[in-house]
Amino acid sequence: MKHLKSFNKKAKMLDRTTSPNEVEEVVAMQSVVGCTSTNDPGWEVDPFGGLGSLCQPMESDLYGCADACWWPAQVPDTISQYPDWSQDVSKANEDWRKLDGIFPEEQK
Amino acid sequence: MKKPMMKRALYVSGAIAFMGLSSAVVAVDGESVIKEKCLLCHTQTGNPEAPYSRISQQRKTPEGWQMTINRMQRLNGLVISSDEERAVIKYLSDTQGLAPSESAPHRYVLEQKPNVVENVDPAYAEMCARCHSNARFGLQRRTEDEWKLHVNTHMAINPTTELHALARDRSWYDIAYNDVTPKLAADYAFNDPAWKKWQQMPKPTLAGSWSVAGFIAGKGNYSATLNITNVSKDNFSLTMTGHYADGSPLKGSGQAKVFSGYEWRASLTLDGVKMRQVMAASEDGSTLTGRMYQAAHDEIGGELNAMNGKAIVALSPSAIKQGGQQEITIIGSGLKGDISLGKGVQLVKVLSRDADRIVVLAKASSSASVGLRNVAVGATKATAQLAVYDSIAAVQVTPNESIARIGGNGGNLAKVQSTYRALAFSAGSDGKPGTEDDMRLGYMQAQWSLLPFDEVAEHDNDLKYAGSIDSDGIFTPGDAGLNPERKFSTNNVGNLKVIAKVADGDNKVEGEAHLLVTVPTFIKRAIQ
Repeated sequence: MKHLKSFNKKAKMLDRTTSPNEVEEVVAMQSVVGCTSTNDPGWEVDPFGGLGSLCQPMESDLYGCADACWWPAQVPDTISQYPDWSQDVSKANEDWRKLDGIFPEEQK
Repeated sequence: MKKPMMKRALYVSGAIAFMGLSSAVVAVDGESVIKEKCLLCHTQTGNPEAPYSRISQQRKTPEGWQMTINRMQRLNGLVISSDEERAVIKYLSDTQGLAPSESAPHRYVLEQKPNVVENVDPAYAEMCARCHSNARFGLQRRTEDEWKLHVNTHMAINPTTELHALARDRSWYDIAYNDVTPKLAADYAFNDPAWKKWQQMPKPTLAGSWSVAGFIAGKGNYSATLNITNVSKDNFSLTMTGHYADGSPLKGSGQAKVFSGYEWRASLTLDGVKMRQVMAASEDGSTLTGRMYQAAHDEIGGELNAMNGKAIVALSPSAIKQGGQQEITIIGSGLKGDISLGKGVQLVKVLSRDADRIVVLAKASSSASVGLRNVAVGATKATAQLAVYDSIAAVQVTPNESIARIGGNGGNLAKVQSTYRALAFSAGSDGKPGTEDDMRLGYMQAQWSLLPFDEVAEHDNDLKYAGSIDSDGIFTPGDAGLNPERKFSTNNVGNLKVIAKVADGDNKVEGEAHLLVTVPTFIKRAIQ
């Protein structure tokens, strides 16, 4: 690793951790109920318990999550369960207001 | 082009508020609906103990059964009316539900309590709990074969599960199917004797008058009498009458349904706001405990404790400083007779008196010993105790880890707020806070403020964009959408500290919590 230089923010954060064991620890951290702890890179929270490694703004890569069924408990998957979820919104970063949530009726 | 609302209606068709009452409920028989609707795909096993394929090998909460039916509608073409759905949920919750002891570890998720951090077994943390709460699977009971089929269902619906972090670097399917399912079958066993035992026990009687103490963010502590009337088997009407902390009246009424003999689900209108109650009756029927929250914003709510009959349920505040004089509200019902605040605490004056609350001016002598006092009104003794303290040594902000979600701004997803309270402690006889002999003083009024959590948050100016906190400790996040003012048009997310300052004489004692203001969730289930 000593010949490699960190290039982006996430790599620099990894660099700042002191040992591989510490990296494992932060990856395995628990998050608040309702958030995913699948941290590659994470939906609500990144592997370091912050926001710095998340895709931002989230709308720019939203369909990269939905189409790949990446966080199916947080983002509607268009593979199986919600194929039409985004069909009328070709650009999420422009028309994000048209995207709907999938909530139980009583939550509305 | 379809409108968003139409899409939502499609996705949630039938996802009704199952606690709602319908006059037709009585007429629809859950077992008949299962035979008519579910057996179009499921088969009859011929075994009267477990008559239906897959269905009879599982036990769940009412919310769990509701989610199953909704998934059948969404993916498998089930067509079912709201009345039929309610009847099936009721039938299956009563015949294949969870015992009180089985649901106890995970009630927070049924109560929609926000900002809970679970302590998850690593075998599950890397498997099920990386997408779901521990409660999601911890509130299900399945046979091992059924847990195995559940793994396969995941593979069929979410095939990229194997490619996620914590999956792609190992034989995810083999581990899930061969290693985790036997563990699930042992930890969350279908044949747990607790359920058989509970089925045979007499169920608590809930009709009657209950003393209620509770908390709602923004309103503070309240006291009330909850009157429950039996309408038909397991269906109730209810009224709540009482006072908020500032003395203003509290009034509400609604309907409730009981599942599995103890699972109370109520829908009511309280002072013009639609609310839900999710509570569990104790096995002996003496208490109802749980949470009441706004139907439209389930993060806004708080605990609700009810005791059957006449009782003192809470004191607000529940601590007084040596030599101090302050108002204390005694919360309960049927409060008649002389008031005793305990040794060294003088009743200076009764400021107001109702059946459900007495507001007194109390004074603790400067020589009153530090410790807990029993409080009584007439013959009614309090379950809560009054703490006499020398000084506040520590303040904990609850919840300590929290999230809020950006929303609004013309989009379809509402902002998700977060709410905080300051819990004070005195140091105890060793003089050190954070040790076992600390005395819990209860929740106290605090001044609320925000700070950036770290250097990154400071650099990104999170404090400016992520939201604000009000004097009641309610944090409101920023608007949804891209923010062109921020680098890369980053959303109004932020990493913040929530600071509470509690007055202790002339001193201020501080506590802090972590708040991540993050992106919305597009999916919300009855059990996350």
